[in-house]
Amino acid sequence: MNEEQEINADEVKNDSQASEEETSISDSTQLEVSEFADKKTLGFGFWLATFWLVLISFLAVFSPILPFKDADKNYIAYEQKENPLTGKVQERPVQPPYAPSGEHWLGTDQDARDILSRTIEGARISLAVGALTALFGMVVGGTLGMIAGYFKGTLDKIIGAIFLVVLSFPGLILAILIVALLDRSLLTISVTLGILGVSPIGRLARAQTLSFSEREFVMAAETLGAKKSRILIKELLPNVLIPMSTLAMLVIAVAIVSEGTLAFLGLSVQNSATWGKLILTGSGLSTLESSPWVAFVPMGFLFLTVASFNYLSDRIRDYFDVRDIFVTRD
Amino acid sequence: MPKPIRRLIGLLGLLTIVSMVTFGAMNFLGDPLFNILGPVAADVDNPESLKVIEEAKAQYHLDKSLPERWARWAWDFVRGDFGVQFSSSGQPPVSDLIKERLPRTLELMAVAQIIAVSIAIPWSVLAASRANRRTDKISTITAFAFVSIPSFAMAVILFYFFSVQWDLLPDTYTATDPFWGISHDHRLIQLILPGFTLGLGSAAAYQRLLRTDLITTLQQDFILMAKSKGVSKRRVLYSHALRPSLFSMITLLAINIGFMIGGSLVVEQFFRIPGIGSAVVEATLREDFPVVLAIVMIVSAGFMVFNYIADYLYTLIDPRVRHEDTSKPRKITSMGM
Repeated sequence: MNEEQEINADEVKNDSQASEEETSISDSTQLEVSEFADKKTLGFGFWLATFWLVLISFLAVFSPILPFKDADKNYIAYEQKENPLTGKVQERPVQPPYAPSGEHWLGTDQDARDILSRTIEGARISLAVGALTALFGMVVGGTLGMIAGYFKGTLDKIIGAIFLVVLSFPGLILAILIVALLDRSLLTISVTLGILGVSPIGRLARAQTLSFSEREFVMAAETLGAKKSRILIKELLPNVLIPMSTLAMLVIAVAIVSEGTLAFLGLSVQNSATWGKLILTGSGLSTLESSPWVAFVPMGFLFLTVASFNYLSDRIRDYFDVRDIFVTRD
Repeated sequence: MPKPIRRLIGLLGLLTIVSMVTFGAMNFLGDPLFNILGPVAADVDNPESLKVIEEAKAQYHLDKSLPERWARWAWDFVRGDFGVQFSSSGQPPVSDLIKERLPRTLELMAVAQIIAVSIAIPWSVLAASRANRRTDKISTITAFAFVSIPSFAMAVILFYFFSVQWDLLPDTYTATDPFWGISHDHRLIQLILPGFTLGLGSAAAYQRLLRTDLITTLQQDFILMAKSKGVSKRRVLYSHALRPSLFSMITLLAINIGFMIGGSLVVEQFFRIPGIGSAVVEATLREDFPVVLAIVMIVSAGFMVFNYIADYLYTLIDPRVRHEDTSKPRKITSMGM
């Protein structure tokens, strides 16, 4: 809930880096990369976070063909035990949940379903929600923001007002309202959360477009008679995309968290396991007492993913120096 | 027109639009009649139920046009009458429901903010005074981790350790218990777990901001001056450096109240606190529109008002701001969750 609130907290990393950033602010992002690539590094954490996200995405996408256990099957274990009624030693089922073991690496839930498989299954939906949300936010917010920033005037005022209104809604209440009144499909939830991402992304895109549209290369293109659509797509979009994608990563993180929040309010994607729902199933008093791993495994996955997205966004923002454009309130 | 007044009018306009959009969306997407009458509402062929439907429509003004109903609602709303609940009994009136539940949420928020601020300030002072050394690096990573833990996950973690494992704190909330007191039968103690759930994430967010600002302040000349006069390190940190560094944190504090309302939905649901968070969830699921509308309005208004207050708090902390333009862009972005 709070991860997106502070933007420039890690500003003062160390003095040398700070002074270096100052000198590079006036250059275009393209130039910056080649010039300072050897001085600025993304750091070990960046690659660690990237590794985790690639891994989890890979597992999520290819889980049907990977040798995981069936997420919906009940793997009841049997052991040789004395039957209390007959007194004979025979094969009897063991009461689940089972603790993590060689058979079930991360344990099973109370229906003896494999937690690892279920968490990977949940990753499919949770990551899909995140990706769709960010995509919607970027396409709609980016388009509106760039149009507002480039054409200015009345159009800018109208779009700015729309952004302001959406921003002044209590986001989560809006989300539960729409989801409760419509349906609980993957698409509805993603679009609803996407609407909440439109304003911040749009404002960023507007600010970026506004500052770049005054620059020489845009004026040159205008003088040469390039069409407005060409200027927007060929000249401005590449410059807007990087700051926008750092914000989009935050939007993905927020969307994954919001899905969990919706799950806790009983409003998450129907008929499929999501991280939020998995954590919710494990968070009852008796389940927590007997088998804490049921809640904590999906929670760990969710945390690592959200933290990775946050961290990547943070690092890329530092690397490309886009933090100054992150002024969205005016 | 003076700037503060102009802003105030802008806020009122914004609130009006928010109410219109919510009002429109709820009537457009849902079926209010069904929630009042139940299955009877769909039974239009039966003359008897038709009569009931007509009566209910007249009673709840559902036979009027949408703009007229909105205007009627708005007029009642500004006079403090939030209407009747869209349920079969319609009792209690929405205003009474809010009056009963809002204080509980405010208590929770207050506890959470106090926890957040009282953790964040010493934490940032500690980190800033050892900037870029090991303590600071560890605390930065910790803060980052805390910021990435969603409130529902934090609720489960705290509940697991403090209630299930160690059995230190109560996991139940009883609305009728007295507030002040230190036993499990007092709401002050019952609010500790929910308060920490909301507060820890905020504390980390505040820490990240305040630490940066403190480091910047500590590099200024007046700090050097104070140090060379022989003022103790503690005094320099807490009484010289802290005050001018509080700016961004106060903004975030104000904005964060809005976020906390979002977080409190899930925390109230998890710890079963009957505040406005759980009220809005219940009401949404029942499609009880007047309740939802009233809470949306209160939350939006609260969010805007706190932002407005934050701007004017600046002048209290730093008198110089009075003579400057307070409308300059702030460094904080928000995403409205």
